This record gives sequence, C-alpha cells and structure tokens, in this order.
Amino acid sequence: MDINILLVDDEADFVETMTKRFRIRKLPVTSAGSGAEALKLLDQQDFDVVILDVRMPGMDGLEVLRQIRAKRPLTEVIMLTGHASLDAGMQGMNLGAYDYVLKPADFDELLDKVRRAAERKALNVSAQSRG
Amino acid sequence: MSAPNPGDSRPGGARELLSRATGARVWREHRLVLWLHFLVPPVLAILVEAATLASPGHATLLAVAVFLLAACSARGLMTSLSAAEEARNALNAQLIQSQKLAAVGELSAGIAHEINNPIAIIAQETEWATHLLTEAEKATGGDFSEVRDSLREIRSQVDRCKNITHKLLDFARKREPVLQDVDVTRLVDDMARLVDKEASYKDVTLSRSLPEDLPKLRTDAPLLRQVVLNLMTNALHAVGKGGMISVTAQADEEFMEIRVTDNGHGIPPENLDKIFNPFFTTKPPGQGTGLGLSLCHNLVQGMGGNILVESQVGRGTTFTVRLPRRLSQPA
Repeated sequence: MDINILLVDDEADFVETMTKRFRIRKLPVTSAGSGAEALKLLDQQDFDVVILDVRMPGMDGLEVLRQIRAKRPLTEVIMLTGHASLDAGMQGMNLGAYDYVLKPADFDELLDKVRRAAERKALNVSAQSRG
Repeated sequence: MSAPNPGDSRPGGARELLSRATGARVWREHRLVLWLHFLVPPVLAILVEAATLASPGHATLLAVAVFLLAACSARGLMTSLSAAEEARNALNAQLIQSQKLAAVGELSAGIAHEINNPIAIIAQETEWATHLLTEAEKATGGDFSEVRDSLREIRSQVDRCKNITHKLLDFARKREPVLQDVDVTRLVDDMARLVDKEASYKDVTLSRSLPEDLPKLRTDAPLLRQVVLNLMTNALHAVGKGGMISVTAQADEEFMEIRVTDNGHGIPPENLDKIFNPFFTTKPPGQGTGLGLSLCHNLVQGMGGNILVESQVGRGTTFTVRLPRRLSQPA
C-alpha cells in the first residue's frame, strides 16, 4: 500500500534519519521544518498521514493540528511528543489526532501506527465515495 | 412499523436492549416453562381427582405435593418477571437520559455556532484597536499602557470563549465510526503512558491488568483512545495523594467491557444522573468545562455502546464502557 507521509519537525537530524528509514521501506516522505511550511504543503497536495511534532518554535503543534483537521479532515495526524505530556496528549486526542508516539520514537511502532492511520484514511475515503 | 431512530437501533443500543428486556423476550425465552405453568395445574388436578377416587390417603399427599410445586413455580415466574420489569425500567431511564443528552448537545451546538461569529468580530476589533493604540502612542507620545492591558484582557477572555465554543461544536459533531481491529491492551497502555507521569507526581498508582487473551475489538480507534484517556484523567483528578486507579477489561461473545476504577472521593447519589450532562462540573469555575464525561458518553454511543457509572462516596467510582464486539457496518 502506498502511503503519502508528511513529517513535520524542526529537528533536521531527526527528519533526515526518519526520511531515510521510511525510504528503505519504499514509503515516500515529504518533510517540513515548521507548522507554517506544513500547512502550505497541505494546501498544494493531499497527504494520507502527517507525523507532527507537538513542540516546535513558531506555530504550536496543537494549533497546526487544529488547522490540518479543518483544512484536510480526512488526513490522519500522529503526534510526536518529546515527553509524555498529559495536557498536550489530551488536547491532541480531543482535537482528533489518530494517535501519538513518544520521542525518541521507536521506528517499528511509528511505522505500525502510520499504517493503521493510513488504513483509517482509506476506509474514510471509500465510505465517503459510497455516499 | 415506523423506521426506528438509527442511532438507537444498533446492536447494544438502548432501544434494542429495551425490547429484549420486555415481556416479549420473557415469552420467547421461557416459552416451555410458561406452557408448563398453564398445563401443570389442570393435569395435576385431574391426578388428584383420580387419586381421591382410589384412596383418600394418597390424595392428601398428592394435594400437598401439588400445592408446593405450584407455589415454587409461581415464585420462580414472579422473580423472572420482576427482574425483567426492573431491567426495563433501568433501560427506559437510560434511553430517556441519552435522548436528553442528544437534545442538549444539539441545542448547545446551535448556540455555539451563533456565538462564534460575534466572538470572531470582537477578536478582530480588539486587534484593530490595539493597532490604533500603537499609532496613537507614536503620534502623541502618551502612555496608554492601561488601555493596552485592558485590550489584552479582552483578547484573552475572547480566546477563552472561543475555546468553549470550539469544544461545544466538537462535542456535538456527529462522527461516523470507522471500524478497525483494535488491540485494546495496547491502546490502554499507550494512553496510560500519557497519564503515568502526572500520576507519579501525585503519588497515584495507575495499574492496568488486561487479560492476555483479550480479543481484538472492531471499533473506532481514535474515538476509543479519547474515551479511555478522558476517563483516566478524570480518575486522576478524583483521587488524592496515594490514590489508586486501575484499568481492566473483559470480553464475552457479544461485548467488551473496559473498566476504569478509582478509590477517590466518589460521586454523591444526587449527582449521579447529572454527571453526563454537558456543563455539569463540580470543579471551581474556569477549571473544567464539564464537557469531558458528556463527550465520552457521546463517543461511546457513537461506537454503538454505552457507558455506566457506579460510585460510593468516600470509596471511589467505576466507569464501565461496554462496546459491542460485532457492530453492524453503517449502511
């Protein structure tokens, strides 16, 4: 299954490693270094899954999440949080994030969650096309 | 027959449970016993009659036996009928409660929607006034810092209103569940990890003991995550230092139940029917919108299940989320 992934994180090293690891699995990853950049990319193209860092300078990850949900309601979002923050987790889940992954992210766990999120998006799309 | 409300006709929905608990169900499931109740007395009466003709001694014994038998079976029938009646009443109350919540939800979404626009205008005008103020400061060199503070306060209160209206709109949003196979053990564990740190600050033990052979549940994963996380957070708020929270789950053929139990202050009986109402909160103003549990109630209903609460003041509270294992796909 082809999954279109958008990775949003301000840590360049992390983005680079993750992009490589996804590429090895033949999953194309687009990356954005900030929330604003991510939203601009989402205007231009449709992504299946957005992996979104909650803590970024500039626009806060939760605000980005809110705007993604408004802009592309079918796109699923997986939050990345540096520490298990209950408040951010609660807000994120209540804003409609699919799931979250703790940093440092275990790649297999992240991959599994990305697959499930993409499956949900596909189910949602086919439900919509049925009417 | 008119078409039933689709929201209530799901397996496990209140309406279906209601129909299962009524007399029709008693008749269907206990048909044989009921027929015996009707047939046994005349048959025995004939026997007694026959025995009287044969020997009066036997007749007395037989009559006593018949009397005892009839008394026992009548008692059994009464018990099962009154149990059915009780279940019916409980479900009726549940149905009324969920209809009431749906109505309140719709109403508050309507209000939130109407209020959103004026709030947006207030926010814009405040920004504009702040801008004008900066210009005026530059032009006159005067000190308008108190006006600026006041504008900032307006802005922050407007944000607070916006937060509430967004929550309300979200609360009333209709979600069509998207069904996936969900590993509930892992889901609970994932959400618990978010609560763990806060729990350890408060010296609260959060234990999860889910059976290893718990089957996968076909349900909506992110909705269930929200419900589990909200219930665990509530429990955390309900317990004091050194409190205990435990999460358990069990499944039978038809349902899976997830339980969140705390040993906190409990909920007084007079509040028990109100806790799922939107805006009902016992927290001080500004510290909770009172939408958490009503959101949970909505989400669980959307997943075709129901949520139950048991509580004893001073002892603690248990929330049980009961979800159907075979949810019919929405047409």
